[in-house]
Amino acid sequence: MWLYSSDIRHGTFTMCLGIPMQILGIDGYTARAAAKGVERDISLFMLQDDTPAIGDYVIVHVGYAIQKVSEEDARSSWELFDQILAESDA
Amino acid sequence: MQRSARDWLDRIHALPLNGPVRIMNVCGGHERSITTAGLRGVLPPQVELIPGPGCPVCICPEEAIYAAIQHGLRDEAIVVAYGDMLRVPVNVPKDEVRTLEEARALGADIRPVASPLEAAAIARDNPDRPVVFLAAGFETTTAPLAALLQEGAPDNLLLVMAGRLTWPAVAMLLDAETPGFDALIAPGHVSAVMGADEWLFVPEKHKLPAAVAGFGPESLLAAFYSVIRQKLEGQAFLDNCYPEVVRPEGNPAARRMLAASFAVDDAPWRGVGSIPASGYHLKGELRRHDVREHFPDHGAEQRRRAGEMPPGCDCARVVLGKIYPTACKLYGQPCTPRSPIGPCMVSDEGACRIWWSAGTRKAS
Repeated sequence: MWLYSSDIRHGTFTMCLGIPMQILGIDGYTARAAAKGVERDISLFMLQDDTPAIGDYVIVHVGYAIQKVSEEDARSSWELFDQILAESDA
Repeated sequence: MQRSARDWLDRIHALPLNGPVRIMNVCGGHERSITTAGLRGVLPPQVELIPGPGCPVCICPEEAIYAAIQHGLRDEAIVVAYGDMLRVPVNVPKDEVRTLEEARALGADIRPVASPLEAAAIARDNPDRPVVFLAAGFETTTAPLAALLQEGAPDNLLLVMAGRLTWPAVAMLLDAETPGFDALIAPGHVSAVMGADEWLFVPEKHKLPAAVAGFGPESLLAAFYSVIRQKLEGQAFLDNCYPEVVRPEGNPAARRMLAASFAVDDAPWRGVGSIPASGYHLKGELRRHDVREHFPDHGAEQRRRAGEMPPGCDCARVVLGKIYPTACKLYGQPCTPRSPIGPCMVSDEGACRIWWSAGTRKAS
């Protein structure tokens, strides 16, 4: 969980679980993206075959979008991460 | 219309289970969801959920971590690594530096990163210094590194390659006399990159049910239902219970970049040994980013217990799904997330850390 735990929490992150982010702006292969109010620059280099547009949701893994995802799936993933983080803090 | 978790659970309980079904997952994210949602407690008692090789930090070669520490201390390079890697101990005598974190405390320039993009940025900001990146991870983490290399990485970014493929570890378990599980839950995001079809060998060659799952309870329970039902009906096929993200062919661009950057070869897994065709190595002119082209190969130095798990630590059997974390004699005493002994207690994806964080303690 690149975004939450690495940047905000205890300095660790999970390497095989990506998190969904919404694309706010695109400049070449770099996109500005947000998840739950936190913004980051991400790379779209791996989505060359299926380029996302502004407003789309993507799963982001170590700073790279690996796949597009629907808004509904993005929202349910965010709920899941909140639950996991609540547990890790307990 | 998607079914709810409750609905899948009812369907699982309605199945005519006549004996144990052991379901292995190979993804730390899956294990975390299973544990957080308390799925073990709500499934029929015959269903066993086994955490398998799903933690890249846990199996990252001890030699690679040792080499990264030495590049920081002896070669005075900037060393960057994913945060979890900083706390994984290597096997050295007590008076020597055991972790990247300890090396940093002694003044080595060690920096945690969360992305290959950050590693590249540090290299660009320090053009006169070598920046050594301890590149651990499975396909989901190695593909972004491939993307970085294909887009063009700074010349002073040097790699300790520790990237591993997930499926060969499963193949190794299945090739053994007693695999130890009856069905496989295939990892969601590894499959998003590499394609669900990568797991076809499980039902086709080994006649075991398999299903790709996402990370929510609905998707995981759907996958459990699928593989249990397959087993009861004497079938074995690959089900995809995460079709919104996982396609049969995965992400073709990512796979092209992996193929263009790396060759796949036999590679060591910490405490496990060499697994055939399981490691990514730089190929062609990208070998100029191989740290061994620039510095001595510290990983090859003769040391006692090189490549092994720490003494007394049962992480290797935990990683392979042979025992549960609580069966390790170090679990909880003295090994805890605060003062971890084995990598499975360090990493957010390690089964020991996940179980401990969820409050699982040894039965006394």
